[in-house]
Amino acid sequence: MIDKTKNTYELTLDGEVVAFSHGESLFEISERHKKEVPTLCYDKRLDAFGGCRMCMVEVEGFRNPVASCTTKASPGMVVHTHTAKLEKDRKTLLELVVSENRQVETPELSGFASQELTQLANRYDAITGRFAGAKSGTSRTEDLNPFILRDYDQCISCYRCVRVCAEREGDYAINVMNRGFATQITTEFNSDLRESECTFCGQCVQTCPTGALADKKALRDRKTVGDIKKTRTICTYCGVGCSVDIMSKEDKIVGIQPAMDGPANLGALCVKGQFAYDFVQHDDRLTTPLVRKNGKLEPVSWTEAIDVAAKGFEKVSRDHGNEAIYAIASGRAPHEASYALQKLMRAGWGLNQIDNCSRA
Amino acid sequence: MESTEKIIEEWRTQPAPLLGMLHAFHERDLKITEEAILAIAKALRIPKAELFGTVTFYDHLSMESGSHDDLRICTGPICSLKGSQEILKAMQGDGARSMPCSGRCDVPIPALRGNRTYQIAPDAIVPTPETPRPIPNPGGLEECVFAEIRDPDRKSLAGYQASGGYLAAEKALNDLGRERTLAEVKASGLAGRGGAGFPTGEKWQAVADAQGSPKYVVCNADEGEPGCFKDRTLLDHDPHLVIEGMILAAFCCGASEGFIYLRYEYPETLKTLGQALQEARDAGLLGKDILGSGYEFQIHLRRGAGAYICGEETSLLNSLEGKHPFPRNRPPYPVTHGFNDLPTAVNNVETLASVPWIVMNGAARYAALGLGDHKGTKLISLSGDIEKPGNYEVPLGLPLKTLIEEWAGGIPGGKKLQAVTMAGLSGGFLGAEDAYAVTLDEPSVRAKGSFLGAGGIMIFDETRDMVDLGRQAMAFFAHESCGKCFPCRIGTQRLTERLAGSAGPDTFAAWREEVEDMGQVMKSSSACGLGMAAPLITESLLRLFPDDLASTIKKANS
Repeated sequence: MIDKTKNTYELTLDGEVVAFSHGESLFEISERHKKEVPTLCYDKRLDAFGGCRMCMVEVEGFRNPVASCTTKASPGMVVHTHTAKLEKDRKTLLELVVSENRQVETPELSGFASQELTQLANRYDAITGRFAGAKSGTSRTEDLNPFILRDYDQCISCYRCVRVCAEREGDYAINVMNRGFATQITTEFNSDLRESECTFCGQCVQTCPTGALADKKALRDRKTVGDIKKTRTICTYCGVGCSVDIMSKEDKIVGIQPAMDGPANLGALCVKGQFAYDFVQHDDRLTTPLVRKNGKLEPVSWTEAIDVAAKGFEKVSRDHGNEAIYAIASGRAPHEASYALQKLMRAGWGLNQIDNCSRA
Repeated sequence: MESTEKIIEEWRTQPAPLLGMLHAFHERDLKITEEAILAIAKALRIPKAELFGTVTFYDHLSMESGSHDDLRICTGPICSLKGSQEILKAMQGDGARSMPCSGRCDVPIPALRGNRTYQIAPDAIVPTPETPRPIPNPGGLEECVFAEIRDPDRKSLAGYQASGGYLAAEKALNDLGRERTLAEVKASGLAGRGGAGFPTGEKWQAVADAQGSPKYVVCNADEGEPGCFKDRTLLDHDPHLVIEGMILAAFCCGASEGFIYLRYEYPETLKTLGQALQEARDAGLLGKDILGSGYEFQIHLRRGAGAYICGEETSLLNSLEGKHPFPRNRPPYPVTHGFNDLPTAVNNVETLASVPWIVMNGAARYAALGLGDHKGTKLISLSGDIEKPGNYEVPLGLPLKTLIEEWAGGIPGGKKLQAVTMAGLSGGFLGAEDAYAVTLDEPSVRAKGSFLGAGGIMIFDETRDMVDLGRQAMAFFAHESCGKCFPCRIGTQRLTERLAGSAGPDTFAAWREEVEDMGQVMKSSSACGLGMAAPLITESLLRLFPDDLASTIKKANS
């Protein structure tokens, strides 16, 4: 690993001599010095791609600007990140990008990075209507999977989705077909996602900078009243402990986004952590204990419920022996509950018959 | 019919197996089937979605029925002048499709069907004529690359050896040794003749010095530049010259494996090369102990599948490796991280074909072939409105006017020259005045805002519609843009629309501003040469024919 605190080399960045360590890209150095070099195809978790060219910078002695994301720093470089010429070219590039899409605005609920193009286009005042012409991308509205909207009308072919699927998830479910302006993000044989290798982890949705890939479930609440509030918590499913931001409007959970700075997951999630949250506020969710009376479940107090359960255990123990008791802990149970359950089994009943639902 | 298992088994253990497998299935099934993709994906451990995407990238690999045997008619710039667009229109009902310039501008109009090339004559489709040999050097000058190409026996190993073939390999491997051979190539001033102009000896030195093994030599025979057909001529008539050049390159680089990457549209050349390679292997000129020197070198022949971008060396390497053929980010360069990330020299056919002569005749004599300060020679493919289209080996520094007027017989029908293209299409247009002023060498051509590149020059007389030619050229670049970088992917499309008048501002002033802004950003920020070169078309049109452009815009908006 590169020790980024051990600054061995120097270069000149916008007139200031700055230190860098071996292997750093010009973009990484610029970012550290808050240069706000714009990007569209960049996601710091992925290998630098060099597609959008927005991050180009001038290096003295080089004939053309270089993509700062794919250019490694070398000692003595003199780098300019925001010359008038660069800024004009970036604006032209953005006007070109905007010209291939039918619209630029996208709901915030679409995904974590969904506002990137809109924000950049506004920053550069690039929604000018210049370079009008054919639009690129064909939407897959007929793909009825419940999670991922495939609105390629909004796609800008940055390949972040393709790369996150391969580099971070290892699923290789999506790729690109055709070439040039006919480029289209697709799956094997251009199928629906459900017929592909997709695991619906939603990583493509969260890295998409335009909302072309969007969170279908969250978008159900696009028109729900209220501001989006994000609450940082830990996913309740398995033991990895992925950090998530629960999105809510007033009292309603409207979606989940992975925490890019979550120490356990760095933005990654699986299909359950990403999309399976409906149970929290579902009408069918149990909110009081139930006890079956005359074949019918009826709400009761906790005292009564525990009493019934204890009697049930006593009866099983009496009729069949302690060996007839087996416990399966919920993967969603907190540590304390899991601890208490194993204590009950081991100290209470003298058994080691306990397992977890993720293995049972 | 070969079974799927047999095709897979035949290719699986070979280096760079994907293209070979795809072509085998394509020939068997006449299209690429889902079954074939699934079998290949499994055998080569390529993700299915990635392989599907890669197949769709190539022009000639279609998953639709009958694609292999569809008639594909060349609609390149020269063939279009000869009426190929109209012929295509008339034949579309019979399933004919268009293909970009297929490198036979000297014998238009070519069409592919299966693995044969045909020529569309006024009333019939006949097998394409044998590739024309260059006419004797009209300037009576000494030649290097074409020195022996007119010898009708040269194609066979016996004929090649009868006129001095493989003596250079013998001399280098058994007499000079690596260092002296490499020193000779360096001293000759030979530089990449595919267009990039990088000094060949320096490249080989870099590969020799690089860490990693095995090392590779790749012959770039993906001659996709419209208006270029020099490599085809060389490979058809003097294939052993290129093989010998590869042996010398490999010897200098310390490479033990080589590839020839041949463009799809040269099926006859594929056969010729395959035979020549087999002859060389059988004679011990390739293999474990070349000419008794103890040196080992193998060459594998691979066929492209229809993608101009694969002429770009890093796309070519990705294509060979079975990856999506996007260009790679550089550095690192192929000399250290080439095929399979190992040290690799990628050289153009013409560059390699120059080397045996240099080794036999010495660096000083090669350098002296050029005029003035320029070292050596360059092949020029001349086509279009010219009396004697064909390939010419010119001394670097020769006035283009001499080539056009004296060597190639001038413009037919007593017409005047209007413009020429440079570097095939990549250099844009030069007007008559500049064309008659430049000499054929990079400094002179670059001073006019263009470049010599691979050496394709198309000639257009005063009657030609230059705006329409520019539109066709831009449509070609848009068709061939790989889609990786934004300025090229969107820019080539928008420039094509603007030249066609199908979209864009309705006043010439606003039109010009859009086109110039796009051109600027494409030139400065595109990831490879395609996107950087494409705006030279509009730039040169704006410089040379602003009135024609203005009236095109006006007409489109009236």
